[in-house]
Amino acid sequence: MNQLQPSPAPANNLFEAYETGAFYDEMFEQPSVPRSHYAPLFQVIGRLDQQQYQQRRELADLAFLIQGITFTVYSDGHNTERLFPFDLVPRILTRAEWDLIERGLAQRVITLNLFLQDIYGPQRALKDRIVPRSLIFSSPQFRREMMGLKVPRGIHTHISGIDLIRDSATGEFLVLEDNVRTPSGVSYVLENRLVLMHAFPRAFSQYAVLPVDHYPVELASILRSLSPRGGADTVAVLLTPGIFNSAYFEHSFLAQQMGIELVEGRDLVVDSGIVFMKTIAGLKRVDVIYRRIDDEFLDPLAFNPDSVLGVPGLMQAYREGNVALVNAIGNGIADDKAVYAYLPELIRYYLGEDPILRNVDTYLCSKPDHLAYVLDHLEELVVKAVGESGGYGMLMGPASTAAGRHEFRRRLLANPRNYIAQPVIGLSRVPAFDETTNRFAGRHVDLRPYCLFDGEKVVIVPGGLTRVALRPGSLVVNSSQGGGSKDTWVLRGDA
Amino acid sequence: MLARIADSLFWIGRYMERAEDTARMLDVHYYTLVERQGSSQRLRWEPIIRIAGEQDRFYQFHTEADAESVFHYLAFSPGNPNSIRECVERVRENARTIREIISREMWEDINGFYHEMKNFQPEEELRGGPHRFCRRVIFACHRFSGVSDGTLLHDEGWQFMRIGKFLERAEMTARIVNVQYHNLVDKEGIEDADDHQWMAVLKSAGAYQAYRRWHRSRVVPPRVAEMLILHPDHPRSVRFCFTQLQLALRDISGTMPGDYANEAERLTGKVLESLRYHRMEEIFKEGLEGYLVRLQASCREIGHQIARRYFYYTAA
Repeated sequence: MNQLQPSPAPANNLFEAYETGAFYDEMFEQPSVPRSHYAPLFQVIGRLDQQQYQQRRELADLAFLIQGITFTVYSDGHNTERLFPFDLVPRILTRAEWDLIERGLAQRVITLNLFLQDIYGPQRALKDRIVPRSLIFSSPQFRREMMGLKVPRGIHTHISGIDLIRDSATGEFLVLEDNVRTPSGVSYVLENRLVLMHAFPRAFSQYAVLPVDHYPVELASILRSLSPRGGADTVAVLLTPGIFNSAYFEHSFLAQQMGIELVEGRDLVVDSGIVFMKTIAGLKRVDVIYRRIDDEFLDPLAFNPDSVLGVPGLMQAYREGNVALVNAIGNGIADDKAVYAYLPELIRYYLGEDPILRNVDTYLCSKPDHLAYVLDHLEELVVKAVGESGGYGMLMGPASTAAGRHEFRRRLLANPRNYIAQPVIGLSRVPAFDETTNRFAGRHVDLRPYCLFDGEKVVIVPGGLTRVALRPGSLVVNSSQGGGSKDTWVLRGDA
Repeated sequence: MLARIADSLFWIGRYMERAEDTARMLDVHYYTLVERQGSSQRLRWEPIIRIAGEQDRFYQFHTEADAESVFHYLAFSPGNPNSIRECVERVRENARTIREIISREMWEDINGFYHEMKNFQPEEELRGGPHRFCRRVIFACHRFSGVSDGTLLHDEGWQFMRIGKFLERAEMTARIVNVQYHNLVDKEGIEDADDHQWMAVLKSAGAYQAYRRWHRSRVVPPRVAEMLILHPDHPRSVRFCFTQLQLALRDISGTMPGDYANEAERLTGKVLESLRYHRMEEIFKEGLEGYLVRLQASCREIGHQIARRYFYYTAA
């Protein structure tokens, strides 16, 4: 155990030539001077040589492979299974940092829920001109079918994944976007923790890290609370598009962890407004559906008639209050990137509070003056399509080509409502292992905490998914664009 | 339990058994032939293809049934949906769709086996003889069986897996006896083989040691057939498989002994009565081939009836 004693100068060859650059480095105050809460970790990891580190890494990769924690990539007509790259260096948040984030997220989730109740109900925020009417009614994410529908216990946003970034300029956490449709990735939070504990048991044991594995229990209890029949024998299911969906692993993982059935559309049937599943003992009534299928594929009778993933008649059963859906239908209007810009105002409007977490400054291209500014400054801005996610439909100004900017100029002019723009934020960095140099190097990260809302309080598993842009210099953390993930630790006390 | 999940578990049991049985046959047959070089190869490898029920498809890919072509076809060929590698892929695919049902240990086991299978190089394996490969497969199947029994709830899902396994095994054993009897005994009932070949038949059904303990005499064809068809306790005999099948079916439906709740149970009970109370000599008198052909047909019909009762829903 001697090697765990702090020593003044660890043989930190994997950190040789590590630079913090112009960015906020989560681990280092300055090169080779770790922040106090990272110091014990630095002691352990800094001592590893390349071979020892590689061994741990291979062990971790093998664990993911054997457990089949892969996502599917389609190319050349073949389905290849890939590992979601996992970087072993954890990202650590102090309790004080987390407390602020937690309060900010709770405030935001409650506001998003109030906003959805309002939009599909009295529409006060529109009448009071907090949000322009046109913005709502021009969104394809606004679902008329939801108007006047009283969702069980008034909850629309049972599960929210809210993306945060830390601005290098100020060290402050900002909200980058809200995801209140079917946010994914929480399974990696739980699996990353398991794998990391096996890879670095000693480093882990030096810290008091808040656990994350109660997430499925919390979610399951929310699901049960929604049953239209009440009672103890609620039947909740998780509805998946099936094995070819890239998040299939997560669907089956969560169903298993919650002890509920994982069903596909073909396992369900609606009869006289009641949803049933087909079991070996006949039809069995279903009360609550945690659906991981997008709105438009849920019910071919109500939405996309070509959908073979959904369940005909499901919307009718939902309208009649015979089944609860998690999340509610129509949530896309709340995480529309143009509506996002109004969130700070909405927090003040519904709660009478100032936002705890700020937004990134946002230009709404639907506003002529904003559009003009954006067109003049394409090279400095990030332009995003309002309804897209996963890093698609995006122009990264500073890294763009003239042709790319030309194309976006055309798109902006053709459909300004569909775009917003934001200044490029220098995301904070955490050391990640660089395959080509076999050293640690600073890589940009974001943070997606997963928030559960039971109608009264917001429960957030400490930390969340830290996504990391593994390509040097890249600011895009999405797995489809070369991103990976890290385990995220929230410390129990204030280290 | 969802009908789709029961269906998947049934096929996991079935394909895993198929992989094991195929590996057993390949292994035993290969080394029996190595030991006894001689007559025309076509004659000698042909039966394996027939036992696997692949005689039609095989000749679409190969002109000659020899060590190389048969091994490649039964172990690796993507053109053969029942090749060992395809079976393992199918098990894994089914397991993947019901990961939340099976235990984590089962999933990691089958997933690891799948990745291992992908790394086997057919040419390389054949060069060193198929023994290493076949042992790996058989061992992996045993391990999976143990991991399943030791970690999965012994509820109806587990029973569906057992149903798949024992139905497959019963049919396979019946086919081994049928084909080999034809192969080794000519029309006048004169044996065209020596002890070694009958020993190989027993070995391919994992029954050689048991036979030795039971008989202590030389290997006599009718006793071999008896061992593989009627033995009450040998885990690969047809009777044993049907006993397990009946237990599993009753466990699911809650039927009392002496009664049946569906067509699958009725047929199973009927076959089992015959296996329990027939003497081998009576079966020979009736005609072994006919008896075995009916047995195989019953296996198929029971599979069909199980699917009708438990897996399929007509449009609601």
